[in-house]
Amino acid sequence: MNPIDQNPNPIENALKEALRREDAPETLAAKVLMHVAQKSAESQPQHSWLAIFSRPALRWAAFAGVSTCLTLGGIHYRHLQRERVQGEAAKQQLMLALRIAGSKLHMAKEKVNDINAPRPESQPDNRIPRSRS
Amino acid sequence: MAMAALPAADHAPAIAGTDFADIVRRYQSMVFSIARHFLGDPSSAEELAQDVFLQLHSVLDDLESEEHIKFWLRKVTAHRCIDHRRRRRPPQISLEDAPEPSTRGNSGDPLLARRLRQYVTSLPEKPRLEMILRYQEDMLPEDIADVLSMPVATVKSHLQRSLAMLRVKVTRTIGEVTR
Repeated sequence: MNPIDQNPNPIENALKEALRREDAPETLAAKVLMHVAQKSAESQPQHSWLAIFSRPALRWAAFAGVSTCLTLGGIHYRHLQRERVQGEAAKQQLMLALRIAGSKLHMAKEKVNDINAPRPESQPDNRIPRSRS
Repeated sequence: MAMAALPAADHAPAIAGTDFADIVRRYQSMVFSIARHFLGDPSSAEELAQDVFLQLHSVLDDLESEEHIKFWLRKVTAHRCIDHRRRRRPPQISLEDAPEPSTRGNSGDPLLARRLRQYVTSLPEKPRLEMILRYQEDMLPEDIADVLSMPVATVKSHLQRSLAMLRVKVTRTIGEVTR
């Protein structure tokens, strides 16, 4: 049978007495906690304002805000694009109308010019009138 | 008991809300004493214990119960002790060369206790840790085998041999003293 499993004998009792736990130095816990505090301070983020996003509610609010802004921006951009296309079309129509009106005016002007143009004078009748006799 | 194979019931949130400072205060004596008995030097033991607790702080979230913390601390302290000894390699006193005590000892004799600690410190690394975990922490060979990642049979064999050597040494010591 394994002597370790037997009832404790004097040598084992003496070993238990010799190897019993000792109190740790008073300073041990304080030193450990100080090191931990130092490490925690060093690992703090430089930009503390980012810490607000550590809260889930604020993170979701920020996400919702950004999403809304992007959606509204997209809609506004599409609206501007549509207005610009419509403006271009209106401009083209106006230019066409102006060209037509211009050509009509030109034609009217030519007509007026034709009307007002001096007629060529009738040729003097150089023929000798015939005698009636 | 292998902590890696703890049943789910033992994974209760025992450390939820536990302050790290409380854990340090609760286990500082255990960690310091293992290191102290292994290294034989209180200042090195304190330094090693500090390192163990700082490492514990960084992995605390992964530990699931009070028993898990205790197992982790014993395991990491044991391995750090071996690493520390291998790095520094102080002159070892062999069991045969250790001086005999000059007074008769008994279980309450501080001189005998000091001599026994010296004998234990002179043991090779693994048998020394096994003796410390067996008689300081009152651990079973199966638990020691888990902590040191060794076969149980090897642990039992080491413990038997170490105990036999110490018994011979102590018997000789008492004999000399009583002469």
